[in-house]
Amino acid sequence: MTLEIQNISKKYNRNKYGLKDFSITIEKGILGLLGPNGAGKSTLLKMIATVSKPTQGVIILNKNNIVKDANYMRKQLGFLPQDFGVYPNLNAFEFLEYIAAMKGIGGSNLTSKIEQLLDGLNLLDAAKKPIGSYSGGMKQRVGIAQALLNDPKIVIFDEPTVGLDPEERVRFRNLISDLAQDCIVILSSHIVSDIDTIADQVAVMKNGSLLSYGDQEKLIQLVDQKVFSITIEKDRLTHFKNNQIIVSTSRKEGMINVRYISENPIEHSIPQQANLEDAYLYLTKRN
Amino acid sequence: MKTFLSTIKFDYLQRTRSYSFLITLCISLAIAYTFVPEPNASYSTIRISDYVGYYNAAWFGYVTAIMTSVFLSLIGFYLVNSGIKADQITKIGQITAATPVSNFRYLFSKVFSNFLILSTIVFIIFIMSIILFFLYNEGFPFELSQFIVPYLLIPIPAMFFIAVLAVVFEVLFKKYSVIQNIGFFFLFSTIVFSTYSDETQFALDPFGTKIVMHQMEESVKGILQVDDQTSLSIGYVLGNVQKPKKFEFNGISFPISFLISRIAWTLLGMILIIIISPFFHRFKIKHKSKITNTIPKIFNKKEAKEIVLSNLSKPEIDYGIFSLVKTELILLFRKGKRWLWVINLIGMILLAITPVEIAYPLILPILWFLQVHRLSEISSKEIYHNVHYFAFSSHKPLTRLLTSQIIAGIAIILFLATPLIIRLMTIQEFSSVGFIIIGAVFIVLLASGLGILTKGKKLFEILFFMITYANINKIPFADYFGGLNHSSNYIISLIIVTMTLGIIGFLTRRYQLRKQ
Repeated sequence: MTLEIQNISKKYNRNKYGLKDFSITIEKGILGLLGPNGAGKSTLLKMIATVSKPTQGVIILNKNNIVKDANYMRKQLGFLPQDFGVYPNLNAFEFLEYIAAMKGIGGSNLTSKIEQLLDGLNLLDAAKKPIGSYSGGMKQRVGIAQALLNDPKIVIFDEPTVGLDPEERVRFRNLISDLAQDCIVILSSHIVSDIDTIADQVAVMKNGSLLSYGDQEKLIQLVDQKVFSITIEKDRLTHFKNNQIIVSTSRKEGMINVRYISENPIEHSIPQQANLEDAYLYLTKRN
Repeated sequence: MKTFLSTIKFDYLQRTRSYSFLITLCISLAIAYTFVPEPNASYSTIRISDYVGYYNAAWFGYVTAIMTSVFLSLIGFYLVNSGIKADQITKIGQITAATPVSNFRYLFSKVFSNFLILSTIVFIIFIMSIILFFLYNEGFPFELSQFIVPYLLIPIPAMFFIAVLAVVFEVLFKKYSVIQNIGFFFLFSTIVFSTYSDETQFALDPFGTKIVMHQMEESVKGILQVDDQTSLSIGYVLGNVQKPKKFEFNGISFPISFLISRIAWTLLGMILIIIISPFFHRFKIKHKSKITNTIPKIFNKKEAKEIVLSNLSKPEIDYGIFSLVKTELILLFRKGKRWLWVINLIGMILLAITPVEIAYPLILPILWFLQVHRLSEISSKEIYHNVHYFAFSSHKPLTRLLTSQIIAGIAIILFLATPLIIRLMTIQEFSSVGFIIIGAVFIVLLASGLGILTKGKKLFEILFFMITYANINKIPFADYFGGLNHSSNYIISLIIVTMTLGIIGFLTRRYQLRKQ
């Protein structure tokens, strides 16, 4: 299974692009999409999910152009949008039945499948209550359940961990790893820790363009020997920020300990082991 | 004061920069164009016996001002009666509630914002009335004061009163929009149909139209030299084949009591806002609190489970629409409060027991109008509830989902008409049964089409209200369900309009799906 995105652009007006000449080929496994707010992640995911159409370019799934034949993608798609809603007067069971009907699935096994999904997401006890009374995390789990209703081969999760507590995040990561055995899973986030433990491939985006794409090692290689830490006085921090890419700061005995990325480190700096977050910040803040 | 004005300004801008406001403005303009009939037109708007005024500046100014006051009081309420609710939905309300702004100041800013929106429409109609004067000019001189005076004294204070009423209803009835809609319907009818015996009582008319119409009647009585009541008609009357006679109307000199009353209505509005301020919920609305409390604790760490993909049942392909129709019916059925179904049940009983002459032309349209909140978002609820990402990425959303919504809507509307349909079938009035079915299809397609076009529900709510009001007044061209006698040409025209609505809805949704 291969998903090829070829030179797609989304143009909103003469000068504004949501996505510009974007190309990527995605194979089975987990692709983590990283980028700051407004990078174009959701725009890209909506186009892959056939909710939105590219102004230019094609998206090919197994040699089928899904820009023209959206139903080919829809039959095997599981999509969790970033900002989705629910019908508050339906309960979780009815809502999932409704989404299943929209996806064109049914049969005698549907009821048991919905029950299994709700049970696995710890929602079975509340399944008969109106969704309008659910917490944010519960709604998010209903969203995850609907994405899995049709045994999808392409699963798109746009900022999926919003509203989930730490334990639920762990369970969700396990679920994604399980899914990736047979599917293409695309996971977007601007939180690096959501991606770094599970993604096989990582794409970093900014201003509608692809900055870098590859496995985590390849990306981390970009900042190898460029990550340092140093302890400085508080009043030097502003000057420091203007000249270096700061990864993090912490207070230490009235001083500030700074982790930063630089090709020309300041004297007395201590080299640090680079990680994905360093690579992400290096790519997005460098330009 | 500056912050207060800023609040009004931004609220006004936010509400007027919407597609539905633009459409409402266009429709208002189109309707305003008909306020003074073209000289050879076969309809009338204001007519006293066989008389209408000469087409001078006064006639244009006063007639359009009266029509604006009645017309905008009718639909204006529905246009502005969700200002507070919009803040609740967008969560702006919660932010506002956390600021030091007082209830009175917040509500007053809403009144002013409502008033500005309605005044914008009044202003557009005012310009249209001047254009109409020059279009149909019969050689009379242009007098700007004959336009300004009636507009300032008749629709402008009326709009302020409507702006206040909209806020009062929103505060008192909170989220019960059905009560707001029905309550205003009865209040409006009471005001419009009330009569006054002497001049001082005209001060009691918040719309300010009766004093002018009374003066017009008196002028015609003078010509006819009769003391009896003349037949004054206001509103659209079709088929006035006989060309009207003309009388001279030069405006009226408003008595001081009337002028004071217009200011008094404005002050009364402010007092009403002061009185209801303590009752404003300040966005502390509890949604289904009982249900929330009964949700069991499901975060028990010992019982936390995970999905095992290999154990999940395998679903089957099913591209039928039965399940979709079923859920759409559930959504329609559960929309609004449960006690509304008691009213529906009473309506259905009335359809079964009252004489057909009352049940068919009067009770049926009212019963159907009571479903306005169900129908108004029948095809726009995906966007309203932010479910459109699921809906629009589903399998064939146009032919399956939209069709299901329309079928469910027609089913629920026809279900409500069942007692009448059975009665008509027993007396072999099959043509009436057919007309009712066409009417159900028409109103559902109108709701669906306008919802898709505007991505909202306001325009349909306003139009449905106007249509129902016209139905109750037995205005023939608004009869979409066959409550009055019609020629076969009318039925064919209605079927064509219904089909056109369906086609427009489908094509627009298809365009929206393609252009996302």
